[in-house]
Amino acid sequence: MNKKPFLLKTTLFILLFIIIGLPFIPLVLSSLSFGWQWPHILPESFSFRAWEYVLFGSSGTWQAVWMSLLIAFTVTAVNILLAIPAAIALVRHQLRAKWLWEAILFAPIVIPPFVAVMGIHLTFLRLGLTETIWGVVLAHISPTLPYVVRAIIISYSTLSVDWENQARMLGAGPVSRFYYVVLPHLLPGIAAGASLSVLISLSQYLITFIIGSGQVVTLPILLFPFISGGDPAVASAYSLLFAGIAIVTLTVMDTALKKYYQNKKTAIEKG
Amino acid sequence: MSDLRIINLEKQYSQTPKKKNPAFSLKPVDLTINEGEFFSLLGPSGCGKTTLLKLVAGLVQPDAGEIWIGDANITAVPPEARRFAMVFQQSLLFPHMTVEDNVGFGLKMQKIGKKQRLAQARDMLVHVGLDGFGSRFPDQLSGGQQQRVALARALVSNPRVLLMDEPFSALDPGLREEMRDLLSRIHKEFRFTVLFVTHDREEAFHLSDRIGVMSEGRLLQVGKAKDIYEQPESKKVARFLGLKNIIEGNVANGRFASMDQAIEFPVGESIKSGASYMVLRPEMLKAAHRHDLQSPDSLYLRGTIQQLRFNHGFYTATVQVEGHQLESHFSNQEAEGMAVGQEILLVVELDAIHLTSE
Repeated sequence: MNKKPFLLKTTLFILLFIIIGLPFIPLVLSSLSFGWQWPHILPESFSFRAWEYVLFGSSGTWQAVWMSLLIAFTVTAVNILLAIPAAIALVRHQLRAKWLWEAILFAPIVIPPFVAVMGIHLTFLRLGLTETIWGVVLAHISPTLPYVVRAIIISYSTLSVDWENQARMLGAGPVSRFYYVVLPHLLPGIAAGASLSVLISLSQYLITFIIGSGQVVTLPILLFPFISGGDPAVASAYSLLFAGIAIVTLTVMDTALKKYYQNKKTAIEKG
Repeated sequence: MSDLRIINLEKQYSQTPKKKNPAFSLKPVDLTINEGEFFSLLGPSGCGKTTLLKLVAGLVQPDAGEIWIGDANITAVPPEARRFAMVFQQSLLFPHMTVEDNVGFGLKMQKIGKKQRLAQARDMLVHVGLDGFGSRFPDQLSGGQQQRVALARALVSNPRVLLMDEPFSALDPGLREEMRDLLSRIHKEFRFTVLFVTHDREEAFHLSDRIGVMSEGRLLQVGKAKDIYEQPESKKVARFLGLKNIIEGNVANGRFASMDQAIEFPVGESIKSGASYMVLRPEMLKAAHRHDLQSPDSLYLRGTIQQLRFNHGFYTATVQVEGHQLESHFSNQEAEGMAVGQEILLVVELDAIHLTSE
């Protein structure tokens, strides 16, 4: 009886490994290689040169990592502040041209960012926002906001109006209703949207490059020149570092959320 | 005095093209519910009783009319400031809060300190028979228990009016009866004003001091359970109350005659002439013996038994009288010796026949 799920599990695991794990192996090898040329299957000699350069050299990696994270989290915070009222308006209120509002909000998913950024760049130049962190943060909002709005809308539309009415009948004003009834229900949606927003912001190259004009240095900005020809070993090392940072960030966010729920539960049980 | 007065309250819903809901309107409703009274709105689904309840709650804005409580006009007061409480069809307990916190929520909104809040919540939980359940989460309770918590949560902040929107309709029949008894007991104890909405006749009859029968957005009749049952003002009310033997006819020259002239009897002076309906309550029809003296104060109907069914505790007979099928209740004793196909003479006192209009 237990055999079938076990078999299925192993097959799935192997499949997942091939799809996700396998590509990392040449990446690891490449980052440790010293001149890895055709037709050798494995590098001829190994060296930590690339890693030394990335982690300890004067490459500015850590500043870039901090800059990436700072931008990603600022973008996400702004997104959440914007997306909650947007979701409330779209779900709860009878808007006149709802489809139009939704189309505008979700347009950045469909339209290539490059198209939008060219226009944004011109405007930002006039406003003096280029080459600044704030400019980059604002530009990052366009590709990330749709995902956050979408996640929160889905969360919110599963909350029947009756809950808010019930809270209302118990004497809860708009703020209390939001804080005690709506927000706890939206939290999983907010968490999902926030993870997406962080990930997408972290991996932005083009927008950061154009708006930041090379002055706002994030990890992708450092990574790209190496990929497009420079040094494959360094590029591999950066790629691994980038993947590592993304995974660590997501894990930390996930644990924080779980911890929050646990604390809440134990606090209630104790109190 | 803080009676709840509803003055010409009116609401019109226009037809929404998207949802294809037909236009619905609540005709002006005028109603006074006394302090401490248990008042039920009874009607089929879609008759506007829930709309009326939501208007009273303030969750829906009326087109016209006013709501007063005591000598304060609260029509423009938002629901959260009305100090009403409401129990919905679903218990709607906040899932991330314990039972105690759920019950104490209303008090928390009134900025009452935690200690007092919890004490009052626990006290109210005892009243609904859930002593010791305070630290559980709603998903650890059964449906009936959840509804009890919802009731406790509504009552704990001592509302001026308790509104209930078919609160037991999601429960199974046994549990429903149990909840009914509980509510009845608590109402007697605390004497709060209740406006209760239901489509269940039995529930309304069991609980209410007075009942308002609604149909198609109109409040048809208001009265004590016995009064509306024995003297329904219209055919619609009689139908909805489950009254069976409703026969169309005419009143002329002080006599009622059914359309086919098969049933005829004298009526009092006070009944005005014109189209009319007679309502014969099944329990008022008795079997008469052929050789009994025929009293002038009674109506005799000769018919054939078409069906005889045992109901819990009594028999229900369907008797064909000319073109009419009449339903009649017989006790076990009376039903002894009766058989399908047999001729039977039914008797009913003229006083027990109720005449009503369309």
